[in-house]
Amino acid sequence: MSSPGPESPVVVLSMGGVSKAFGAVQALRDVSFDCREGEVHALVGENGSGKSTLLGIASGFLAPDKGDVEIGGRRRRWCSPAEARRLGLGIAYQTYSHVNQLSVAENLYLAMPSSERPPYRRMDRWAASTLEEFKLDIPVRAGVGTLSLAQRQLLEVVKSLLAKPKVLLLDEPTTALGPEEVSQLHELVRERSRSGVGIVYVGHRLPEVLAIADRVSVLRDGVGQGTFGAAGLSEEELVALMIGRPLKLAFPERGAASREPEVLLDVSGLRGDRFGPIDLKVEKGEILGLAGAEGNGQVQFLRALAGVERPAGKASCDGAELNTRSPTGPMRAGVVLLSGDRALEALFPVLSVRTNTTIQVLRSFERFGFLRRGREKKAVEDMGRKLRIRMASIEQPVQSLSGGNQQKVSLTRPFLRGDVKVILADEPTQGVDVGARFDIYEALRAKANEGVALIVKSSDPIELAGLCDRVVVMSRGKIVDEIAGDQLGERRIVEAIVGSGATKAGT
Amino acid sequence: MRFRGWIPLVLLGALIVAVGAYTAVRQDAFLTEYNINNLLLATMPLALVSIGQTNALLVGGFDVSVAALITMCVVTASFTLKPDETTFGLFLGSLAILGVGFATGVFNATLIRVLKLPSIIATLGTLSILEGAALLLRDHPEGPINSDVIDKLNTSIRFMPVAFIGVVVLVVVADIWLYRSRTGMAVRAVGLDETSARRLGMSTGRIVFIAFVVCSVMASIAGFYSAAQLQIGSPIIGDYALTSIAAAVLGGASLAGGRGSFVGTLLAALFLTEISNVLPLFDQPTEYAQMTIGALILLALVLYQLPELIARWRSGRQSVGRLQGGDPEAPVASTTR
Repeated sequence: MSSPGPESPVVVLSMGGVSKAFGAVQALRDVSFDCREGEVHALVGENGSGKSTLLGIASGFLAPDKGDVEIGGRRRRWCSPAEARRLGLGIAYQTYSHVNQLSVAENLYLAMPSSERPPYRRMDRWAASTLEEFKLDIPVRAGVGTLSLAQRQLLEVVKSLLAKPKVLLLDEPTTALGPEEVSQLHELVRERSRSGVGIVYVGHRLPEVLAIADRVSVLRDGVGQGTFGAAGLSEEELVALMIGRPLKLAFPERGAASREPEVLLDVSGLRGDRFGPIDLKVEKGEILGLAGAEGNGQVQFLRALAGVERPAGKASCDGAELNTRSPTGPMRAGVVLLSGDRALEALFPVLSVRTNTTIQVLRSFERFGFLRRGREKKAVEDMGRKLRIRMASIEQPVQSLSGGNQQKVSLTRPFLRGDVKVILADEPTQGVDVGARFDIYEALRAKANEGVALIVKSSDPIELAGLCDRVVVMSRGKIVDEIAGDQLGERRIVEAIVGSGATKAGT
Repeated sequence: MRFRGWIPLVLLGALIVAVGAYTAVRQDAFLTEYNINNLLLATMPLALVSIGQTNALLVGGFDVSVAALITMCVVTASFTLKPDETTFGLFLGSLAILGVGFATGVFNATLIRVLKLPSIIATLGTLSILEGAALLLRDHPEGPINSDVIDKLNTSIRFMPVAFIGVVVLVVVADIWLYRSRTGMAVRAVGLDETSARRLGMSTGRIVFIAFVVCSVMASIAGFYSAAQLQIGSPIIGDYALTSIAAAVLGGASLAGGRGSFVGTLLAALFLTEISNVLPLFDQPTEYAQMTIGALILLALVLYQLPELIARWRSGRQSVGRLQGGDPEAPVASTTR
């Protein structure tokens, strides 16, 4: 028999002719997919192309309209998540499967197959040694809700491995991870695939995908575009397959160099939980990048500026001091935060795209206290076109959109307000892939050209180098480096992050 | 991160003793064997139904139909536990009452899990149906309950009803199960975050189903004690729906699901009954009892929040967000409830 690997004849997961529709939206159309033991099979596609739906069907969380699933040689029309697990399928969800109010140990315990669980009273000790095995430094008694997003993501992967699955599905496992943690995760994935586990890897960062995958399958609009060996595949070719046309320009053109330097946001000595003191000036029309390893205070700094967390020190916008004691002050002053956690903080998942888009600016559609629905509808439809939001109608609930399209909806808000001066964007392209990313970059740049100052926090150095006019690097809550002009490049940013003694996440 | 379950227990224990001591000093009639026995027996229906209600709250639901179910069980008892019934007939009659509880539980659980109705609406419907049915069977109080059965239910060793000892053992075992066992944790996980629980391969549907059936069966057992008190098939019985939810919440249960304590629930039921027992001794109208209970519920809930409020004042910052280094008790979005 041949050894496990991409050439192995043993198929651990196979899906045949799978179709699935959500209401009017056909999410998958006759898709077939297989994963052999010991290989890393990447699945790529734009937002809304059906990747998560395919994984949902494989894991038993969704039932297909047509087609069937075969796990470890057992064919099923549909099986429950519990049965899929028994057949040898493990999955790390993009949106996690943690019970946030329970401790890390309790969450690990729940993820363990019941027959192999240690006695309850030895749970904490067992959890600690399990985490040690995976080289994860997380306190087992901490509530999962208190962990950083990166820690939660790594914990999700660990949980998916506890049952020693034959096939492992990883849905966007690196969205919250910095470069260091990504390589830690990839090391783990390689080790597992060497030991014979078939791994399905859904990713949107193409360099990462090509680095880890043996084979790549591409989905576009719910239709399979074929399966390819990763070795002979370039990023450009992959993008072309994903979006159906070659991607001509990765980043929008920077603003004219001749603009009048005028400081719009002025921060001095701002301090808060996990960051500070920070002094920073951002000019009108400038996009400032905020780099650093995960958990070095970047997010807290942005949130403090928006008044979501309470800082000490001073910040002013357009000459007027910002009242950061609540989100209302900065909001009134024209400072808008685009939260990185769209599902929890930015959106009302059950409400429609229309409501989510216009909720902050309803006044502008008012006459005599009544809404003018026609105008509102037109404004939302315009935004939808501009950002290329993929939806059946503007009345569709936001939670039924794909992740990237949800992100776009949360981005629409500052665009409908005429009085926005500063946009604070926390990972604006998290979980968003190439084609859609460009739409978002373009929208942010257009805003800068209108004279808005932007701070963009991102864990992707390529994104920062391509989009921003200037990048500051944070470490342990302080700004340790500033990169601008000709210096600004991916390599230089990564060096600055690594060179500044980047700390581990969560410290 | 362990559930701060001791706060409700300590507070309720202190309140029960304080009210008792205050009364005992002023009223000789309070600390008599007869009155304590009465008080403990009077606690039984509320205690039992609240323990059931705690199950429903743990999995993130409500059961407001328990009020009408107790009435229905009392009315049923007036037909099946007649004074002239044989022992075997009484046995069957008791099974019939439990059967009413079980059937109601399955009905509720089916509405909630299979037809996906919100539990509060589903059980509101059941409440109305049972209320009407009870009035149809007995439009006014009539049909005495077998006195042997009443004596059995009220069997006491001096002031202590045997059944009360049973309930104490039950709640202690139930709390150990809830916080020190795998299945107990699974039940809490379903209440805290159903989507995650389902993703982890738990049979969330079955857990919720069982919780609602247990809730109704407990209510039907409460019906026995209610019947023992009234001694007649009355179609009008007090509002156990809201009181049982109040007792569970006072005992530490969260309306959002996943949190609660059976011991706390029993203490709360005892406390609520104590208040209504004590006020007549002071010749106070029962309206005061209602107002006192309301005020104490609010006070208790504020006290339960104290650790978080103090932590917030200390840190001097009020986090509006729910994300970074957030409050572990903060609500979490869930797609299905």
